[in-house]
Amino acid sequence: MAKAVLVDLTKCIGCGSCTVACNLWNSLGYDETKPAMSAARKLNDKNWTVVNSHEVTDGNNKPVWRFVKQQCFHCQEPACVSACFSKALQKDADGAVIYYPHLCVGCRYCMVACPFDIPKYEWDKTFPLVAKCQMCSTRMTKGEAPACVSVCPTGVMQFGERDTILRKAKNTIAQDDRYVSTVYGEKEVGGTSWLYISDVAFDKLGFKTDLGTTALPTYTHDFLKYVPGFAVVWGLALTGLYHYTKRRAKMNHEKAVKKSTSPTIKKETAQLGDKKDEN
Amino acid sequence: MGTKIKTGLTRLNFLKLMGGMTATGIAASVAGCGSEPVGGKGWIPGQYTVPGNWPAQVKGRIPIDPSNPSIVRDDRKCILCGQCLEVCEKVQSVYGYYELPIKDDITCVDCGQCTLWCPSGAIQERDGIAKVLAALDDKSLHVVVQTAPATRVALGEEFGLAPGISVEGKQVAALKELGFSAVFDTNFSADLTIMEEATELIKRVGAKDSSTLPQFTSCCPGWVKFCEYYYPDLISHLSTVKSPQQLLGAMVKTYYREKKGLSLDKVVSVAIMPCTAKKFECQRPELNAAGVKNGNPDIRDVDIVLTTRELANLMKRKGIDLNTLEDASYDNLMGEGTGAGVIFGATGGVMEAAIRTAYFMISKEQPPEELFNLTPVRGLAGVKEAEVTIPGLGTMKVAVCQGLKNARIILDQVRAGNSTWQFIEFMSCLGGCVGGGGQPRTSLLAADEVRKARGAGLYNLDGKVYKKRASYKNQEVSDLYANYLGVPGGELAEELLHTHYTDRSSQLTAKKKV
Repeated sequence: MAKAVLVDLTKCIGCGSCTVACNLWNSLGYDETKPAMSAARKLNDKNWTVVNSHEVTDGNNKPVWRFVKQQCFHCQEPACVSACFSKALQKDADGAVIYYPHLCVGCRYCMVACPFDIPKYEWDKTFPLVAKCQMCSTRMTKGEAPACVSVCPTGVMQFGERDTILRKAKNTIAQDDRYVSTVYGEKEVGGTSWLYISDVAFDKLGFKTDLGTTALPTYTHDFLKYVPGFAVVWGLALTGLYHYTKRRAKMNHEKAVKKSTSPTIKKETAQLGDKKDEN
Repeated sequence: MGTKIKTGLTRLNFLKLMGGMTATGIAASVAGCGSEPVGGKGWIPGQYTVPGNWPAQVKGRIPIDPSNPSIVRDDRKCILCGQCLEVCEKVQSVYGYYELPIKDDITCVDCGQCTLWCPSGAIQERDGIAKVLAALDDKSLHVVVQTAPATRVALGEEFGLAPGISVEGKQVAALKELGFSAVFDTNFSADLTIMEEATELIKRVGAKDSSTLPQFTSCCPGWVKFCEYYYPDLISHLSTVKSPQQLLGAMVKTYYREKKGLSLDKVVSVAIMPCTAKKFECQRPELNAAGVKNGNPDIRDVDIVLTTRELANLMKRKGIDLNTLEDASYDNLMGEGTGAGVIFGATGGVMEAAIRTAYFMISKEQPPEELFNLTPVRGLAGVKEAEVTIPGLGTMKVAVCQGLKNARIILDQVRAGNSTWQFIEFMSCLGGCVGGGGQPRTSLLAADEVRKARGAGLYNLDGKVYKKRASYKNQEVSDLYANYLGVPGGELAEELLHTHYTDRSSQLTAKKKV
């Protein structure tokens, strides 16, 4: 069953525990030029998750600070997986979009395909790989929540089956009118495994709200699904054509041999036979 | 045609084969030839490796604003042990005492207890050493330093001495060797505080309107900020007298500077404090009395605060061994301190010091011997109470709290109108300043023993070392009033020694009941 994480942005105090948990668990190391908690927060190969702060206004027009944890959304139908021709990105049974470095050819199609701009590249390495959140897939297979979820002191994040989590999100919104009425990630690009609820409009918090609800792979799947069938048919057609032309050439040749009996031609035929042997 | 039958691998082909395999091997080992996904090869503390959404006793960490003036955190050292949250919530009642979502502030009273509890040293004070070194290197500047009462019984620990051993003279010697132009004692301004605060108390007790009683002490910047956040309705109870650090800072940049004939922008005022909140306090916008008086409000009364730990670090960097130094004495003008001043560093000390002087001011008599050993307000109990009979006033009831969670016990009663006290001392840190967030780190189990030993060190100075034991006997303080300020509570004293507070309740939603 697909798992999901619900992020309640109203509870985040910006402590950054999640970013540290991610770095510890995934041994990402630290680069002081790439902090996960500072004014210069950015996802990169050392920071699979960051907490961005936003100065916005609340429902009463008062200035408030809101913190938004950013990481891979783990789409239900991931564009990166469909773009990856070498199967380096795969979606597992729990719903995590996992990166297998040994299969990656480094083409970076996934980076172009991702609607959330999540996959990052190890630009400063000789043999770079792509880097992004794995949703702690190895923890999830043991029933554990992703590391970031398990360390959050204020309970911003809840982990569980996507159906249950989505129901919880909707209940929370229904019971408290401070919340924006949508669950971000419920339908965006066909739905994601990370769901967000907030008391401040999502577009003010750096979320892309114009992505639509169609899963991106469906745009290409509509015609690319014919590719295997087309390949088989085309192959069969070409094979048929090959045999047809080969047979015609043979017949023409035999015809020519019958017509002529000159020794020159005989010699040529002999040479042709020799060449065939060498081949 | 020449057909040669191959009997085996030629030498050339063998070399080609081996070369190819080597290249493939190198490529595979560089690029990684596993079949596992990336990540998940590290570790995380045990409480987080259980299935499901279980609660944990200690979890996560406190939020720290990147622009926090007092404390900073190094993410590389954080192990998510949860100890900072534990002390912030269970001892100081700051974290967890506001509703979510937050407003436009990361609630922090700057007490720095988290720096003491953090086992990996990830949280520490914001560095002030670089600024001090730069000031000391600039020969055009006159750099003055003051030392808080509590640093002298703890600095030695950083040099192998037992807690509580007074290194007062050696600390002065070290500061002189570091190149400070003058070394003053915050004990002096603690005595000055008492003169003002006792005057204020007598005024409040005598006033018809008793709404500003009980009077709260205001020396502890962590406590003051806590009151501003969580008990803004009681701000009128806070004494308007600045903290000893700020008093001395203001006096350095007015009284001392004028005596020396120095220009205001050439004097740098440094403070060695057992406290991280003092770093916040010196940046409070209203604490610029000398600057305002001289038409340059950008100039702070105290420019740089170093914690006890930072001073030790600075000394070690400069190769100064505390143990080998000869005792030196504080500079004149503001170097004299009484026993009443020095016990400011221990919980109950401010109260005891205030009572000694208030007794004298009200009754015009020397305080009796028991006021020089006011045991009910000494020691490490969270809330302490005492009753003192003062001729001319009657019975005065006082209370003392240490640790901000204990403060809530008293504050809730005051808020409910159930106060029978006239004067209450509040200290953020357990043990008072001796257990301050800027003091040398101790092992956690021994911490109470360490606080006791340091406190005993201060009471020993008060009882056995210093000759004078009441603030009104401080000659240099009397001189300051006679030559400069006028009288306690007078016009210039009001301008330079008193302050006002900020209601911070709009920056958070305090929880009604926790």
